[in-house]
Amino acid sequence: MGLLDKLSGWLGLRKKEVNILCLGLDNSGKTTIINQLKPANTQAQEIVPTIGFNIEKFKSSSLSFTVFDMSGQSRYRNLWEHYYKESQAIIFVIDSGDKLRMVVAKEELDTLLSHQDIRSRRMPVLFFANKTDLQDAMSSVKVSQLLCLENIKDKPWHICASNAIKGEGLQEGVDWLQGRLSFIYGGLFAYTYTLI
Amino acid sequence: MSEARSDGGKWLDAHYDPVASLYTFSACMDLADLHGDAESKLVVGDLGTGTSGMKLKVYRGTALVSESALLDLPTALAAFLMDLHEPRIPAIAVASGPFIYIYKNLRPYFKFTLPGLQVNGLEQDVWQQVREGHIDPLTLKEMLEGLREKAEVPLSVRSLHFLSLEPQQMDEFVSLHKQQPIRRQTVITCMGTLRKSTADEDGVSCLVIGTENNDVYVLDPEAFTILSKMSLPAAPTMMDVTGQFDVEFRITVACRNGNIYILRRDSVKPKYCIELASHPVGLVRQGKNVVVGCADESLQGFTQKGKKLWRASLPAPVTTMAAMELPTRGFQAVLVGLANCEVHLYRDKNLLSAIKTPDVVSGVCFGRYGREDGTLIMSMRGGGLMVKILKRTATFDERDNAPGPPLAQSVRLNVPKKTKLYVDQTLRERENGVAMHRAFQMDLSRLRLASSLTPVSSSLSEPLKMNAVVQGLGPSFKLTLNVQNTAACRPVMNLVISFLYDEHLYRMRNPYLRIPLLVPGLVYPVQTFVECTSDRGISDIIKVFVLHEGRSAPLLTAHINMPVSEGLALN
Ligand SMILES: Nc1nc2c(ncn2[C@@H]2O[C@H](COP(=O)(O)OP(=O)(O)OP(=O)(O)O)[C@@H](O)[C@H]2O)c(=O)[nH]1
Ligand SMILES: [Mg+2]
Repeated sequence: MGLLDKLSGWLGLRKKEVNILCLGLDNSGKTTIINQLKPANTQAQEIVPTIGFNIEKFKSSSLSFTVFDMSGQSRYRNLWEHYYKESQAIIFVIDSGDKLRMVVAKEELDTLLSHQDIRSRRMPVLFFANKTDLQDAMSSVKVSQLLCLENIKDKPWHICASNAIKGEGLQEGVDWLQGRLSFIYGGLFAYTYTLI
Repeated sequence: MSEARSDGGKWLDAHYDPVASLYTFSACMDLADLHGDAESKLVVGDLGTGTSGMKLKVYRGTALVSESALLDLPTALAAFLMDLHEPRIPAIAVASGPFIYIYKNLRPYFKFTLPGLQVNGLEQDVWQQVREGHIDPLTLKEMLEGLREKAEVPLSVRSLHFLSLEPQQMDEFVSLHKQQPIRRQTVITCMGTLRKSTADEDGVSCLVIGTENNDVYVLDPEAFTILSKMSLPAAPTMMDVTGQFDVEFRITVACRNGNIYILRRDSVKPKYCIELASHPVGLVRQGKNVVVGCADESLQGFTQKGKKLWRASLPAPVTTMAAMELPTRGFQAVLVGLANCEVHLYRDKNLLSAIKTPDVVSGVCFGRYGREDGTLIMSMRGGGLMVKILKRTATFDERDNAPGPPLAQSVRLNVPKKTKLYVDQTLRERENGVAMHRAFQMDLSRLRLASSLTPVSSSLSEPLKMNAVVQGLGPSFKLTLNVQNTAACRPVMNLVISFLYDEHLYRMRNPYLRIPLLVPGLVYPVQTFVECTSDRGISDIIKVFVLHEGRSAPLLTAHINMPVSEGLALN
């Protein structure tokens, strides 16, 4: 790191880096959601099932995000835990139309939340009850009931109904997450800045 | 055992509908990606009440998405790829009576009819005379009864029906049917699928059917012509098919005579036969072996050549069986539905897991459902439908629960040949055993002497153990001797301790100590004080002797290396 970089870091001019993990079962719409958040001219036209994981970078006024779009296929799910340590937030995507696999989503969520690298940390978790446009989709209230989200007491969490294809509901979730993260990371830098 | 008897948290309860009104068996259930959307559906031939309400049902996830009426009771159902057209959507074959109804995109597409059987010539003549008005129904009845007794070719269904009628119904029946030619039909009893020429997952498959008339047919996937016909000694009831029609295949068939026959390519008669002591009620292939559930509440394993491998007893009668295969995890096992409301999972004869169900399971099916590879679907006798999903992290440990000698016992050890060196050594040990033992004992005593091992008395009547601790910086030291009687139950008494030391260096308050009676096992600390009288910063050894009163030979000796005194004596 060059001297200038360091200086800008101290002054709070350089953006704080935040890693976000995007998790959920295969076909839940993780890649579609992340694709929607990208600037219109860089969006992919066709979304294919993710193999392993993809990395995407975003910037906001105060933070710089790195999003790990993990594959949700069962054979790749054991990759997830390797990224828990260096992540500061989690986006968990659920296919609201897949009633049958809601138990599987709950099982993976429970395993995630009780993992030693996640358990004791107050990291924000954002849930997208995705595909609400499907005619047999469950409401986000129903989804949060089935996943027993009310039992999450030690982490800030939020659930949004979304339709990733149209981009509906995504901004609400992202705003919440950004608010949470600036509160944790951005706030500290603002404080340092005023001291100088 | 107790863990293997419960499902051990290996399954997730995905769905249970106790009032799904689904009445079916394993043979009428299949999983297939019917819409080409990578999401597998459940296709079921529903038997309804047995006389009405027969339906072809399709489930997607937890919901019934399609249902169409069937004309007759389904006996078997299979999803199979019949052509190479894109998209590769499987067709559904539903066997009922002498027909196979083929559905494509869930719409009726084709109806296959089993070829008619040879009709008895005499029977035909008799009906011909009826048509011409030469004989009346009562004579007809007499003649047909005579034919039934001795004819080689059995009577047609029409004649049999006629014979069961009351005299007053006969006239009407005859006038209704006499104009139609006589036909003899058989019915399908079981059905399987066989890949045509490639082993690929998406290869085109032939239908294989077994009939009440003891025949097995292989049908062409597209034209539904008969590619091959094989005969069995009895009527088949269940079948398992592997291989490829153009290369090599094996059809394992359980028959109504209680035997299992194995048919191969290029032979119209069975190649091998398994004679069972009890009737087969379930037949599943596991790898290269055949697992058979029998009516005597047993599960038996056979090789594909019919050699018996094992037998396991079951706690209740078998209701249904199915294979459980998870190729992604290299897992193979057999699911056995039992009449005591349990589904057992066996790998060979080992019970891996038992699932309790709210009702007796009538049909099971395992495979990819929706997007989940390890899904178990169970239909209940009372019409319920239950779906469980195998956890991603679930493992089944291969444990031999069957009583009897452990497996390791029958494994032959690879013992190497005896070398000449080994033989020479053995001879030497045999000849010089005593000398070698003495030499060893002497070395051991030397070793004890030389090292700082805890001194142990070698006397048999006073087995003692002692260790010494020196505390203090000097010039005064506290010396603690921990003495222990190591005998099992005999106490030791009349012991004393005396010390030998350089009197120029050390002064001991009490160089002669009496030891109290030593109870076996307890540690007795004996303490005394030593004073270093020299101020030259040197140290020496103090020898400790444990003696029996009145005997001069010590039982135990110990050398204590005294530390250098850090302080000075006052006088
Ligand atoms: N109807 C509907 N379809 C959606 C929605 N979001 C995503 N999809 C579709 O769902 C399918 C899967 O989306 P992906 O984004 O690839 O899912 P994923 O979670 O990344 O899946 P993996 O990479 O396999 O873990 C695609 O065909 C999307 O078009 C939605 O909100 N509504
Ligand atoms: Mg993806």
